[in-house]
Amino acid sequence: MIAEKTYLLPTSINEAIAFAKKHKGNFKYLAGGTDVMVNKFQGNNTSGCLIDITQISELKGISKQGNFLRIGALEILEELKLNSNIKTEFPMLIEAALAVGSPLIRKTATIGGNVLCENRCLFYNQSEWWREAIGYCLKCDGDICIATGGKNACFSELVSDTAPALIAMDAEIEIVDVDRIKRIKLEEIYTGDGVYPRNLSETAILAAIFLPLNRGFKTVFHKLRERESLEFTSLTTAVALDATGKLKVALAGVDPKAVVVEGTFNDNKADLIKKAVKGSRAVDNDMYSRKYRREMISVYLNKSFEILCKK
Amino acid sequence: MQILKIIVNHQEHQVLVEPHETLAHVLREKINLTGTKLGCEQASCGACTVFVNGKAVQSCIFPALRAEGAIITTIEGVADKNKLHQLQEKFVEKGAIQCGYCTPGMIMTTLDFLKENPTPTTEEIREAISGNLCRCTGYVKIVDAIESYVKDENTQVSDKYKMVGENRPYIEAKKKVQGTADYADDIKIKNTFYCKFLRSTHAHAKISNIDTLKAKKIKGVRLIITGKELPVKFGVLPISQDETAMAVEKTRYIGEIVAAVIADTEAIAQFACEQIKIDYAPLKPFFDMEESCEDIGENEKIHSHVKFNNNIHKKAELRFGNQQEGLEKAYFKIKEKFDFQGINHGFTEPHAATAYWDENGLTIITATQVPHYLHRYLAKVMEIPMNRVRVIKPYVGGGFGGKSDPFPHEMIIAYASRVLGKPVRVRFNREEVFLTNHGRHPTKISMEMGVSASGKFEVLDADIIIDGGAYGSFGVVTSYYNGVLLQAPYKIDNFGFRTRRVYTNKPQCGAMRGHGAVNSRYAVETIIDRLAEEINMDPCEMRLKNFLNEKTLTVGQYRITSNGSVESLKKVMELSKWKEKFRKLPEGHGIGVACGFFISGSALPIHWNEYPQSVVHLKVDLDGRVLITSGASDIGQGSDTMLAIIVAEVLGLSLDNIFVVAADTTLTPIDLGSYSSRVTFMAGNAAKTAAENLKEQILNAVSLLHNIDKAEINFEHEKVFTNDGKLSLTWIEAIENATRKVGALNSTGAYNSPKLGGDFKGAGAGLSPSYSFGAVITEVKVDVATGHVKVVDIWGAHDAGKALNPLAVEGQLEGSWHMGLGQAVSEQMKFRDGLLVNSNLVDYKIPTAKDIPSIHTNIVETIDLEGPFGAKECGEGAIHPIIPAVANAIYDAVGVRVTSLPITSEEVLKAINKKNKNLETVNQ
Repeated sequence: MIAEKTYLLPTSINEAIAFAKKHKGNFKYLAGGTDVMVNKFQGNNTSGCLIDITQISELKGISKQGNFLRIGALEILEELKLNSNIKTEFPMLIEAALAVGSPLIRKTATIGGNVLCENRCLFYNQSEWWREAIGYCLKCDGDICIATGGKNACFSELVSDTAPALIAMDAEIEIVDVDRIKRIKLEEIYTGDGVYPRNLSETAILAAIFLPLNRGFKTVFHKLRERESLEFTSLTTAVALDATGKLKVALAGVDPKAVVVEGTFNDNKADLIKKAVKGSRAVDNDMYSRKYRREMISVYLNKSFEILCKK
Repeated sequence: MQILKIIVNHQEHQVLVEPHETLAHVLREKINLTGTKLGCEQASCGACTVFVNGKAVQSCIFPALRAEGAIITTIEGVADKNKLHQLQEKFVEKGAIQCGYCTPGMIMTTLDFLKENPTPTTEEIREAISGNLCRCTGYVKIVDAIESYVKDENTQVSDKYKMVGENRPYIEAKKKVQGTADYADDIKIKNTFYCKFLRSTHAHAKISNIDTLKAKKIKGVRLIITGKELPVKFGVLPISQDETAMAVEKTRYIGEIVAAVIADTEAIAQFACEQIKIDYAPLKPFFDMEESCEDIGENEKIHSHVKFNNNIHKKAELRFGNQQEGLEKAYFKIKEKFDFQGINHGFTEPHAATAYWDENGLTIITATQVPHYLHRYLAKVMEIPMNRVRVIKPYVGGGFGGKSDPFPHEMIIAYASRVLGKPVRVRFNREEVFLTNHGRHPTKISMEMGVSASGKFEVLDADIIIDGGAYGSFGVVTSYYNGVLLQAPYKIDNFGFRTRRVYTNKPQCGAMRGHGAVNSRYAVETIIDRLAEEINMDPCEMRLKNFLNEKTLTVGQYRITSNGSVESLKKVMELSKWKEKFRKLPEGHGIGVACGFFISGSALPIHWNEYPQSVVHLKVDLDGRVLITSGASDIGQGSDTMLAIIVAEVLGLSLDNIFVVAADTTLTPIDLGSYSSRVTFMAGNAAKTAAENLKEQILNAVSLLHNIDKAEINFEHEKVFTNDGKLSLTWIEAIENATRKVGALNSTGAYNSPKLGGDFKGAGAGLSPSYSFGAVITEVKVDVATGHVKVVDIWGAHDAGKALNPLAVEGQLEGSWHMGLGQAVSEQMKFRDGLLVNSNLVDYKIPTAKDIPSIHTNIVETIDLEGPFGAKECGEGAIHPIIPAVANAIYDAVGVRVTSLPITSEEVLKAINKKNKNLETVNQ
């Protein structure tokens, strides 16, 4: 018969993690819900327990902490533009946040949720019936990757728009788990394996994002999409240059993880671009072709570097 | 189950909810606030937007239990008692509402963002509503309404006695802005069971076994039906009765219904569907339309009834003049191949229906454009006489041709409710809408055109294949329309075509806005652009030189009556500053033109009988209110309002004295339905005749009673009077006079198209009592590095004969241009081995408010002699020119031609790179 379901609304991180421990293997943390609830509707997520973390105040707020700006994971994407620190020091984050979905989605979606949103693939983000019809893929307990016609690896894409922007600006994240709190560079959580795209334990909670202050970032952000709203990315490029000349490029939409290339402003740009293209394992799992998306990496990065030069 | 306490629109509710239930479900199903609409259930259309504690959320993804204790406002709570919110007033006044299905969400979103930004720019408005999809309006009038509200402009109230030619909000507009207009899924019949379908996972396969044992045992499952129980074939055309309610013995596409479960709840029905096990024996599937034209050897045909050993459903071929001679005579010729992807209607309201049986037989309330055809085929499939079937069309959230067939789900719930003796309800999710399809056929065209040295068209020859998918639908008509609708708006003496419609193992295609001719029009209009360039002539001048005259016959004997082609084209040339821009804009920036025409209803009915194509009845009694009953189906295009305007105009009434009951097959006389742009012309004429007949009755009575010559009596301003003052009756007094001794007055009006056309086979295709004409010029900017096309301006003009309601006509034109823009640059149905890959509103890319440029809408009036007050169609024809106009503008911008649709960035870039490479080679 249809399984019993539960919905839990903890008010502290500790309580949430306690719930998580109890329901291990059969729960999903829920923040804005723009990703999780759609995946539930499609049957991509069948967890019996939803742990709604939106009532946890520890996960909210934007404040300066030492040399960093701390952004609570539950901060709403559409509201980031209202924060003066973000506006002055990290305008690319606002650009990225405002590139997500539609205004309606951004009013519900959180930055933590966007950074951790489930990887997407045209052959995975479908109903249960659909996935049965095509033959289940690796990401839903099948044997092969459908998109590539049989590879033994999953290439579902990281589609976060804020993640590449944050990574390019050297963001760190604070993760709270059963027994510890750790702080790592954001890019370190992405595994590159489309089936398990994040190396986070099931019970872990992303508490906050930290952006380094006073680095004097000059940035350029681009998102490839057919329509000007309501789109997941097909390629997001974020480029940040700090006052010391350190250059960092991060891409989303072309690989299961964020593709990161680091260098300096004086490096040969063509080499940096080549590295970025080489690091991107885009496959034909998007409405745009793999070929076009890869081609656009060069176009977007060239354009970005040109703009940076003028900044 | 948990108890949820919420305050909705100031009223407290305690409801039992499932832990993972959404707020939308609670509001709609448990609190009965059905103004909150479901269009996608995946947060990608915005129709379900409500406020939770003052903030806009999409309630389809909002967990209900998160709302514990929350204050919620839905669309029903926006008006202050009986006073509409000013924004709602503006939506009504500005015609921002057509089908009305997106309207509640649109208003909630707007109210929300205006709180943050009370004085937005136009761009900010477009951005703010870009998560709310509208398929009817092109967002033009929605943005107008919001701007007018922001500027606090005075409400312009139309003169209540001015009818024809006056801007008139839809008669139901106030209901639609308040969320109280009931669509099929909003109507809750008591004690209803729910139906869900198990759909085929195989494109072409024998069904060797269906095991329902496990599903039957589930508590709450009431009935499981499989194909063998419903074997009677149906199809909208009498000549294509090739479909059954469910797959019988074999499946023909992935998504075809193979079993239906009826249960106490949707969730149980869904769960039970998943427990049914089907064994398939796969057959060779056919996905490629060219392959379907060929002999298939030992393989099994998709349909055994087709004539030869292939999968060709229909061949249509007509030839006029002498094409060989035309080709030889032509000074310059171009032959080109084109390739078009399938397009879905994308209406915002998913199909939904409820069926029940009582002493009157079957009643079905369903989202349909064609109650009459459904009436016929329900009777056929249920094997009962038509007098045992009643079809009721409630408000419909858009159709565009996608609700103009009798559908399997309608047959299945009708059958199930008969077996169970209880009402059965069904609603589709968006994936099912896409799988049901009936959209525009994927098409391959090879076309050749030739022109004389002076720019006269000498010849047009087209060879066309259209991919019909698994069943017939309107396909025979589509086959002809692809060809025959090329014989205008230009005079071409040597003209011919061949169309082959093939079956493939994909969801079936059918009629969609601009039926049949959209793709072939694209081919013609882009070839004309090239011909003009080759002979160094302005493409507008070339078109002007070749237009047919008014009052003429085409080569295939279409009778052209009024013809606003020249005026339409000249209008957009002038407004767009064509002469100053064409071939003169900087690289990457271009302007393009195209023209088109369309039928105002098909002169020949689908069922060959002598019954009129439309009948309208009127009744008036002592209260003075005229009841209009008509089978015409308002699907958001405003036909109810059109009928009211015509009757009010004839009788000199305001709409206060009009009441419309439409599209209920037991209450209303037959109209054939909303398709082929026939309603204004045919139902409008029937309404006009009915009103004139009623007027005559009143005239006779009043004239006799007061001994005044009929010719002296006027009907205006709700008065019946003579100019000399001898007679001065209020409307009520006149009705009292006229009803003495006889009681309520009744009248009837009917419309039948005149006999038209030639005496050759196929002469009937595309015949219409009148044709609309139009032209579009677009300006685009193309990013040469990415190939991305941004359409920045649209100037359109359309000869609608006479705009009975200019507000509604503009809305139809703007909606057509929006829909065309989608097909031009972003929309396509993408398949992988017969499985539709993008059956959702994220990957099927309907343009958002941000993607639509400024649109300059022009109505051209030519006063058609046979149209009601001179009116012709306006709902479909305008989509034809927009798509090639975009392509021609792209050529002007970057010098490349894309011969496939959609013109994606990728295709444009490919073409640019190819061009550059060729140039390099030449330079070397």
